[in-house]
Amino acid sequence: MNYTFQFGEVLKHSPELMRASLTTLEIAFAAFWGGCLLGIAGAMGKVYGNKAVVLVVRIYVGFFTNTPSLIQIFVLFYALPDYGIMMSPLTASIIGLTLNAGAYLTEIMRAGVISVRRNEMEAAEALGMSGLQSFWYVILPHIARTIYAPLSNMFIWLVLGSSIAGLFGVSELTGTAIDIGASTFRTIEVFLIAGGIYVMLTVVASVTLYLVGLWCFRVRARIF
Amino acid sequence: MAALLAELPRLFTYYNIVFLLTSAGVTLALTVAGCVVGLAAGFVVAAMRRTRAAWLLPVRLVLILFAELFRRIPFIVTLFLVFFISQGAGYNLPLFVIALVAVCIIASAYLAEVFRAGFSSVPRLQIEAAEAMNFSAARILFSVIVPQAWRVVLPAAVAFMVSLVKDTALASQLGVIELTFAGKVLVTRGYSSLLVYGVVLVGYYLMSYPLGRFGAYLERRLSGRGHRPALPEPGAA
Repeated sequence: MNYTFQFGEVLKHSPELMRASLTTLEIAFAAFWGGCLLGIAGAMGKVYGNKAVVLVVRIYVGFFTNTPSLIQIFVLFYALPDYGIMMSPLTASIIGLTLNAGAYLTEIMRAGVISVRRNEMEAAEALGMSGLQSFWYVILPHIARTIYAPLSNMFIWLVLGSSIAGLFGVSELTGTAIDIGASTFRTIEVFLIAGGIYVMLTVVASVTLYLVGLWCFRVRARIF
Repeated sequence: MAALLAELPRLFTYYNIVFLLTSAGVTLALTVAGCVVGLAAGFVVAAMRRTRAAWLLPVRLVLILFAELFRRIPFIVTLFLVFFISQGAGYNLPLFVIALVAVCIIASAYLAEVFRAGFSSVPRLQIEAAEAMNFSAARILFSVIVPQAWRVVLPAAVAFMVSLVKDTALASQLGVIELTFAGKVLVTRGYSSLLVYGVVLVGYYLMSYPLGRFGAYLERRLSGRGHRPALPEPGAA
């Protein structure tokens, strides 16, 4: 292999890469919180809804967990304009990732909802706990123990999954790496650096989530 | 809607069907090859992580780094890296081989984690008991750990396989002619994009859903009573 690495060419573009990492995190955050809302709605529908609602949620979850997110965004971005619905690449990828995350989060939230048992609520009431107290001391610890680890996994997955947006021309980390590679021809270097940034982002996210879980919810999430 | 239905017979000509089916075959080939290699390599990585010998430290370090790093890099970046590094090294590999290598890399990294979780599900006391009886490390692995761990490993491995079916869609960005790429080609030929991508989505669903059900069945079957079903894992990205 007689390839000379020239990281200098790529490092000149480091401000762009920094900005792109922020965009990556923004996409991940947007899709995560949107997905959480969808997930809570879906879980409530699945646990408390009537048959029709349950069926709709099942179809939604089944469809989005069994098909590639890439093609879901293809449909949003390339097929919907035929019907007069135009959106920017960023919007399309955030909507696509949100719908995708919402499907997984529905199952996660459902597990959280059913982890609280009626007896325990009654016990809390018998002890004279107020609504807020029973939420804080009875419901939250249960839900947190069940869903905190999958939730943090989901966030990490979204940080990595937001790379799909780069394929539609969004300048997040992967998209920017593709652009820099095209202008400098230093493709190996730029993707090595982009990969390194992804590793850093996810490690920082994992450590943060671990600490938040430990301090706020008394849950020990896994870092590695 | 009516226009889409009217277009269906025009899309499903003999050659288009053959094209879609062969490209779905490529998707399946990538998935199955990735799983076979990933299971073997993942087992080796997880088994090596358990060793304690000092002279194996460098090997252990490299394998741990491999498994941890590739689970923290998006699949598309891995794919591009394999592509550009193989080009830079002067190998002119076919695109399918490049996608295959990338799929095998991430499958090994993720399945190593699946195996590790399975291995650590075996109670410590049993391993200590085996050590007290002077079992060798290999004997502990194969007669104590593996017979119990596979119940945990198998459903999780199938769940990962489901996510791998979907991840191979990214190989289309390199130009590998698999199901997603077939969809792009058909759209370029002038078929309605909603219809074509709808068909492609159904194709993925047909490959992924039965596999997912099989995984859920295995899990119910292999785990004892009172077991809560695992949450769906998004897998690699």
